[in-house]
Amino acid sequence: MPKIEVSRQDLFAQACIDDPGDEKLADILSLVKGEIDASDGDLLKLELNDTNRPDLWCVEGVARAIRCWNSGAQQHLSELPEPDMDIFVDKNLEQVRPFVAAFTACGWAPDQRELDALIDVQEKLAASFGKNRKTAGAGFYRLDEIEFPVKYRAVSPETSFVPLGSEQEMTLSEILTETETGRTFAHLLQGKDLWPLLEDSEGRVLSFPPILNSQTTGRVRAGDSRLFCEVTGTDWETVQLTATILACNLQDRGAEILPIRINYPEPYLEKTVVTPVVFTDRLTASMESIHGVLGMDIPVESVQKALLRMDYASVELTQSGVTGTLPPYRRDGIQEVDLIEDIVISLGLSYFEPLLPEQFTLGKCAPIEDLADSVRILLAGAGCEEILRPVLTSRAKVKDATRTPGDPVSIANPMTAEYGVVRNTLLPGLLEVESTSAHAAYPHRIFETGEVLTVGEDGYCRTEILLASLICGNKADFGDVHSIIGSLCHSRGIALSLTDADDDRFIPGRCAAITINDRVSGVIGELHPAVLDNWGISSPASAFEIELSALKG
Amino acid sequence: MTEERDLHPLEEKLLVYLEKNGGSSDTEIIEQSELPDEGSFRRASEWLLSRNLVAEVSRHEEEFVELGPLGIGNLEAGITPELAMMREVTAGAVSLQDIQKNTVFDRGRWGSAFGSLMKTGHIVKDAGGIHLTCASEDTVYQKIWDLVYEPLAGGGQMKMTQLPEDVALIVNDRSPKRGKTRAEFSVSVVVTRVLDITAEGRIALKAAKENITIGAITPQVLAEGTWRNAKFRRYQLDIPPSQIHTGRLHPYRQFLDTVRKRFMALGFTEMRGSLAENEFWNNDALFMPQFHPARDIHDVYFLDDGVQVPHPQPEQMERVAETHENGGSTGGRGWNYSFSRQQSLKTILRSQGTALSARTLASNPEIPGKYFGIARCFRYDQVDSTHLPDFFQVEGIVLGEHINLRHLLGLLKLFAVEIAGASDYKFLPGYFPFTEPSVEMHILHPVLGWVEGGGAGLFRPEVCRPLGIDVPVIAWGLGLDRMAMLAMGIEDIRDLITPDLSKLRGIIVQPDRLLTGKEIQDA
Repeated sequence: MPKIEVSRQDLFAQACIDDPGDEKLADILSLVKGEIDASDGDLLKLELNDTNRPDLWCVEGVARAIRCWNSGAQQHLSELPEPDMDIFVDKNLEQVRPFVAAFTACGWAPDQRELDALIDVQEKLAASFGKNRKTAGAGFYRLDEIEFPVKYRAVSPETSFVPLGSEQEMTLSEILTETETGRTFAHLLQGKDLWPLLEDSEGRVLSFPPILNSQTTGRVRAGDSRLFCEVTGTDWETVQLTATILACNLQDRGAEILPIRINYPEPYLEKTVVTPVVFTDRLTASMESIHGVLGMDIPVESVQKALLRMDYASVELTQSGVTGTLPPYRRDGIQEVDLIEDIVISLGLSYFEPLLPEQFTLGKCAPIEDLADSVRILLAGAGCEEILRPVLTSRAKVKDATRTPGDPVSIANPMTAEYGVVRNTLLPGLLEVESTSAHAAYPHRIFETGEVLTVGEDGYCRTEILLASLICGNKADFGDVHSIIGSLCHSRGIALSLTDADDDRFIPGRCAAITINDRVSGVIGELHPAVLDNWGISSPASAFEIELSALKG
Repeated sequence: MTEERDLHPLEEKLLVYLEKNGGSSDTEIIEQSELPDEGSFRRASEWLLSRNLVAEVSRHEEEFVELGPLGIGNLEAGITPELAMMREVTAGAVSLQDIQKNTVFDRGRWGSAFGSLMKTGHIVKDAGGIHLTCASEDTVYQKIWDLVYEPLAGGGQMKMTQLPEDVALIVNDRSPKRGKTRAEFSVSVVVTRVLDITAEGRIALKAAKENITIGAITPQVLAEGTWRNAKFRRYQLDIPPSQIHTGRLHPYRQFLDTVRKRFMALGFTEMRGSLAENEFWNNDALFMPQFHPARDIHDVYFLDDGVQVPHPQPEQMERVAETHENGGSTGGRGWNYSFSRQQSLKTILRSQGTALSARTLASNPEIPGKYFGIARCFRYDQVDSTHLPDFFQVEGIVLGEHINLRHLLGLLKLFAVEIAGASDYKFLPGYFPFTEPSVEMHILHPVLGWVEGGGAGLFRPEVCRPLGIDVPVIAWGLGLDRMAMLAMGIEDIRDLITPDLSKLRGIIVQPDRLLTGKEIQDA
């Protein structure tokens, strides 16, 4: 979930409301699916839950949503003039970092705090929405230092310029190895022979995107009121939308936005594109669908008003319903339910009276859980304490310490070896209980029913429920666990038969396979002293483990 | 007032003795009465004293001294370190180092003797070394030798009162209550008391003698019918019982059982699923795009290549792929990317219980139908006090012809009140890739205030249609671990699955209050 930090004062000034206090603000933030993470003086930390709305990951976006909901939709990037600035894209960038979008913003002079906020938004978008600058990364420049047309070129790593924060020229490859930002993002250019560079018609370098701006043109200061903004990246959709969001933000701040024509060479886009693109995604929903999803009749005028309060660019009434045009900074509409959700958010959930489903349905327990319940109660009645252990465990516990014959399924990307496999037996979990409970009053009679993952002969893995029980104490022997499984089977009317078995976990001659209905379903025995020793257990122990389903009878 | 309980057989034996012999000392009673041993006497006399049936006629405490281990050592050496030191000084020694050359005592004991003599002023130290201030025969140390060591040379003990005050002071000082193995003397207190029967005791004894009282009911008592003319000895009922460890169900499992029962009572059918899933059921069928950040290698556990779960039907795969790419038949435009069937078949550990719901939708569910499942899920987190390697979620769906947002809210309200036992709740818009509209419920916890109570929504057509469902479906999900911690008063999530039996036995379980949460400040 994206998290942002904003200034309260700035947020409420832009939202055109008085500070409502945190409690009311929490309700207001439901408009943007946001929550207050922390509130400290002027600093507000917000968490935005909608991962498809990058426009909301900044103070401008949150404030805009509040402002528009209070006073209606606003026009964004409307009536942009024809572009009179150009960027020419080098065809060799196709395999490097193909896309660029750009615009200029003049007439708003940010103070230091506003400038910092602007840079924050740019970083946040590049980090979260632009996949750490891969699919999109943005930069701001002093417009007056730049002569158009600007060239977006693919150049040799040995090209040099004076990067931001430095006094002397460095080559691009030096920037990647010798600056911190360079090292952080070097992987984006790994394996490329040519690297991207933005320069103006006079050959002055603007930046080495998406790594570093230049010290001369790329250093924006508080009070600069004429800005050039560019977004480059590997994903055209992301690059365009990022530029459009930034343009809307700057326009909200009071800047005049002028578009730029991007001249793509053949073959990759084969055309010119004017950016920022004013998106006009449309969503249509019939009144029937709206009523169906909402569970109530809402007049079409109310639907229209609700959507306009969500800053829809326009809402047309059609014969059967409505067609809404999303504001240019939104591309998250996939189909009619998305429009319907905007109606819900605009009206507020408290607008809808909760209703219980009327149709009758039968409550039913899963049969295997029914069986588990019955067995668990019998075992508790036999004086056993139930245990609950994690499903993830380690190979060392299953194989080395417990000497389990079968192999557990391994995780390909474990976080730690301690949780590197999925258990295929419950016994290591019970032994671990013993190894940590020597101080607890004896006797210990414990059991667990739980899921394990096994691989069948067909090669598919399946989830099974096992039952295991272990008795540990001065005189714990085979007879004790035999009595438990014996009375369990007796209670369920099942004939139990034991046949000698060899199993490294148990003492030879004191270990048997449990056969129920002619099928081997488990194992029982006195645990081998070597196993007890591996686990650091100092009292004798006996145990059995069986497939729960065998006890169905 | 409650009726006085009957005499215990031990009490009766003690009273009988005192009635016959009058005031007697502890030793006399222990040696001469019919009480079996000293322990029985102690118990019986405590009980009788507390009930005022026996009185303490007199009580006398006296201190006795005997030689401790160091004292015995001194006796064997024939001299104490203090006297020996004074002798050495008289013989010309001028420094402690000189004296410590004599190995009758070790360096430490010489050192402490030096300290004692300096403190009592019997020696002084100046530029010329150490000197005596008086003849050793005139010091208290000589008196200790004469009055304590000599009389106790053959062992035994003597009364402290026999000793002059200055001697007694030092003896007391050197008989510590602790560390007796390094003590010079040992002083003990001997209590001599005389007990006698009281008037109430005589009455109680008389009453006891006149009645046949029965202690334990034996088969013989029942067979012979002796109980018909007898009185039952009254037991003292408030003695703490001995503890037994009962077999019991695990506290967290009891919590989960309660959740299950309540869902079934509300007409839900239980679903079960697999710990391992392919990405198809865990993500793709839920319309989570393959580039979604929650599907990253750092968020999901992948199983080793070659470990597979059964594949979805080819037509299911095609419909889902098409929905991701261009919306298919759902009326939407999809995610507009190239769907990878290979990625869809990768095996992972279930990361969300919603996988159960997807599978249920695909297997001809009842319509109308209500389903729930409690699923263990896995997320890529470092295990700590708030994260477990696997955690429990309860998930579910409600399908029906006319299901809508208001039913979703109604159901959530039902969960808040009937399952979580919340006193208040509120709904907020939420975001989940598979539902639209999406709602988050927050519930008011008596102690912690507003806490998350789960997410819900109407499944997107992109989820339902490819799986063959044409009616609206409500879906919801809720993590249970945190709720269980609140209910059980547990602060470290790892305690939910503790391997420590004594800790487990210490968790208090009240299934009837499990979901409303115990008032933590009471704990």
